[in-house]
Amino acid sequence: MDPVHTLLLLGIFITLLVLGVPIAVGIALSALVTLLFTMGLETASITVAQRIATGLDRFTLLAIPFFILSGQLMNRGGSARRLVDLARALVGMLPGGLAYVNIVAGMLFGAISGSAAAAVAAVGGFMIPRMREQGYDTSFSAAVNVSSATTSLIIPPSNILIVYALASGGVSIAALFVAGYLPGLLVGIALMAVAGFIAKKRGYPVDAPVAPREIFRRFLAALPSLFLVVLVMGGIIGGTFTATEAGAIAVVYSFVLAVPVYREVTLRDIPKVLVDAAVTTSIVLLLVGTSMAFSWVLAYERIQQFVGESFALLGGSPIATLLSINVILLVVGTVLDMTQAVLIFTPILLPVVQSIGVDPVHFGIVMVLNLCIGLCTPPVGSVLFLGCSVSGARITDVSRALIPLYIAMVVALLLVTFLPDIALALPRWLGI
Amino acid sequence: MKAIVDRFLEGALAAILGGMVLVVSWQVLTRFLLRQPSSITEELVRFALVWLALLGASYGFGQRAHLAIDLLPRGPKLDLIVRLAVAVFASVVLVFGGWRLVDITLALGQSSAALQVERGYVYVVLPLSGLLILFYIVIDFHERAR
Repeated sequence: MDPVHTLLLLGIFITLLVLGVPIAVGIALSALVTLLFTMGLETASITVAQRIATGLDRFTLLAIPFFILSGQLMNRGGSARRLVDLARALVGMLPGGLAYVNIVAGMLFGAISGSAAAAVAAVGGFMIPRMREQGYDTSFSAAVNVSSATTSLIIPPSNILIVYALASGGVSIAALFVAGYLPGLLVGIALMAVAGFIAKKRGYPVDAPVAPREIFRRFLAALPSLFLVVLVMGGIIGGTFTATEAGAIAVVYSFVLAVPVYREVTLRDIPKVLVDAAVTTSIVLLLVGTSMAFSWVLAYERIQQFVGESFALLGGSPIATLLSINVILLVVGTVLDMTQAVLIFTPILLPVVQSIGVDPVHFGIVMVLNLCIGLCTPPVGSVLFLGCSVSGARITDVSRALIPLYIAMVVALLLVTFLPDIALALPRWLGI
Repeated sequence: MKAIVDRFLEGALAAILGGMVLVVSWQVLTRFLLRQPSSITEELVRFALVWLALLGASYGFGQRAHLAIDLLPRGPKLDLIVRLAVAVFASVVLVFGGWRLVDITLALGQSSAALQVERGYVYVVLPLSGLLILFYIVIDFHERAR
């Protein structure tokens, strides 16, 4: 690792960000300039261009446009409103009101999607406008939406846990999935505690309790929309189709609901819906592609090797090692995309923690939970960006509104780190 | 002029995304009916995603939809720097790097596994989106000059 190159990479990136250059452009340019030290302009530009293109050429990424599109169809097509009506009847009267509804919806969506990006787009797409109507501050709504959406990466199914299973070289995916349930629930509860407190303090409106008959009526009205959940979850969990295919099925189903069934969207509106979904998607995907180029440069500069060697200096104390790994991952998570962070750091950190007796399943959950916080932090936080893009709020405002929610997430992270049973009890009980 | 390019891109984006939904749904349907997974459709939608992402990204630059951190107060000087940075990215990475990548990939004759399409053609979207971004920057300068 050349310290000059590393400092240059980070320095240029941060300078461009502060100047207000679009983040995707800043990532790509800092990768380009750093490469100029070891290769000519031509090779460097080809390398960055190639990393962008190959970074986007992945089947799993396809789930993103589909869930964004189905979320928009659900939102405009009246499904979202019926689901929110039901959720409001269930938890809207609690202090925390729509913030609770958002978190619960985020966790439910997470239980079927496995992608935080999809959860942010689908839940935020219909919750944030409703919260705005009720007088909620948009940055606060976006912050709640963004942080609760990350639970979908911990609550199974989860794409990132599959990536971890690959990176770790054979940890059981089933065990990782089952291990994610309680930690995911814990994060959700921690977020509800903080969001409820803030909503109460600011005096956001709380709904009047709803009669059981009305709850049942709303349940029936929402049933066709709820069936989408069954369709997607049943398909993925039963292994009938991949997440990407489930996304396409969700689009078809939500189209059928929005156009011929609920008749809230006309065929004439469809091109506009498609363009909106495409633009939201490509803002995120340009970040994915350019981040791939950036992470390739990090690997090229052998930064991961340097980190691995430094760990030997800690001398084997479990608490000190786990704490410092958590601190490192929190920092890494702010500048790296989760998939890259997992792929780059698992091979280095897993041997370190296994040597002090940490279970690889437990470590996978800790790592993902930790990096979920990074997904919600600037300068690079794909879920934060998407949440801002969906809500129209500014990154700086949403980051500020997220601060108390970060604390809730860190508390949950520390509990899961030092009480391994939160993750391991369920898989042990089931014998996986 | 901008309106024509905008309409064209909107049409392309809607067609690509709509097409992707149809193709993947078709893939699921045929697998149930014929019990035969299609590797052609998977490759097709993956390539479509690369085009959607980059064309959508250039359209996004025209609409100022991209995410940036707004710590400093905006002014004409800062705007100029931002547009220059985007122009360098578009011209060096996308147009120059992308065009050379297309050139090299075509020269190597890499074709995709299932579709047997020259991989170089998939990468054509890199220089194309670079040119579109540059077009939007020029239009933006022109509008501000007036």
